[in-house]
Amino acid sequence: MIALPLVAVVAVVAALRATFERNTARKLPYVNVLNFAIAASIVLLLDHPLSLVAAAAYFVGSTLEANAIASTYAGARNQ
Amino acid sequence: MLGELLYILAAAIITWLLFVSVDIFFRLPEKGGVSGASAVARDIQAAGGDIAGGNMMGNIVCSPDASAGTLLAACGVYVAGIPGGLIAAALVFIGNRICHDPGYAGTTGALLATFVVYGFTQVGFTATNFIAGTVIAILSIQGISHVHASRLLARLWRVRQ
Amino acid sequence: MIPALEIMFGFIALVGGVSAALILDYYGKLISLGILVAGVIPFIVDRGYLDVAITVSLIAPIATIFVLRVVRRADA
Repeated sequence: MIALPLVAVVAVVAALRATFERNTARKLPYVNVLNFAIAASIVLLLDHPLSLVAAAAYFVGSTLEANAIASTYAGARNQ
Repeated sequence: MLGELLYILAAAIITWLLFVSVDIFFRLPEKGGVSGASAVARDIQAAGGDIAGGNMMGNIVCSPDASAGTLLAACGVYVAGIPGGLIAAALVFIGNRICHDPGYAGTTGALLATFVVYGFTQVGFTATNFIAGTVIAILSIQGISHVHASRLLARLWRVRQ
Repeated sequence: MIPALEIMFGFIALVGGVSAALILDYYGKLISLGILVAGVIPFIVDRGYLDVAITVSLIAPIATIFVLRVVRRADA
C-alpha cells in the first residue's frame, strides 16, 4: 500500500536533483534513478501481464536515450 | 504501515547486496563499457569521487545491468510468478544487446533475483516490497551523493581484487 | 490513482517542461524532455492504455537520438 507513494516520492526527488545539477554527465545518474522509479510505478499502478512489457520497454528505451546522450557528450568534448 | 516499511527496508538491503555483488563479480568497475560510461566516470572523478566507482555508476547508467535485472525480475514475479521473472530476464538480455553491451551481468542478475524474490515471497515478504526496495537501493547508490557512493564501490572493488 | 500521486507525477512533468524551456545547454534540454516523458507515462498507464505507453516509451528515445545528431552537427 505504501510502496507506490514511496516510489513516487523517490521519483520527485530524483527529478528535482537532475534538474538542479549543472554538469551534464552528473545529471545522468539522477535521471537513471527517475527511470527506475517510473518503471516500478508502471507495474505498481496496473497489475497486468502487459505492464511488465511496458516497464521493460520504458526502461530499455530510456537507458538507450541516456547512453546516446552520454556518448555524444563524450564525443563532443573530446574534439 | 510501519511493518510494511520495515519489510521494504529489509528488501532494499537484500537487493543492494545482490546486485552490487553481481556487478562487482562481472568486473563492471574495471572500465567503462561504452564511451558514455567513461565520460560519466571522468566527471564523477572531477567532482572528487573515485574512478572505479564512477565506472560502475556509468555502466549502470548506460546499459541495463544487474540492478535493472533485479527490478524487472521483481516486477515479473509480482505480475506472473516464476515465469514472469524468466520473461523479464529475456527482456533484459534484449535490452543489453540493443545498448551494445557485450556482458551478461543483467541477465544473470535477473535470473538470480527471480529465485531470490520468489524464495522471500514464501516467508512473508511480498514482491511489492522488493520492487520498492530496489528503487530505494538504486537511490542510495546513484541519487544521494556521487562522491561517497563511488568511494564505497571502489573500496568493495579493491576487496574483490 | 489517488490525488497525491497525480500531483507528484504531474509535478515531475511540469518540472521537465519548465526546465526544458529555461535550460540553455542542448544536452540539458534533451535530458529535461526525458524527465517530461517520465512524468507523462504513469498517467497513460493509469488509464489502462498499456499499448500506447509501450509505443510512447519506444518512440520518445528514438526521437531524442535523431535530435542528438543535429546537436552534434551544431556543436562541431
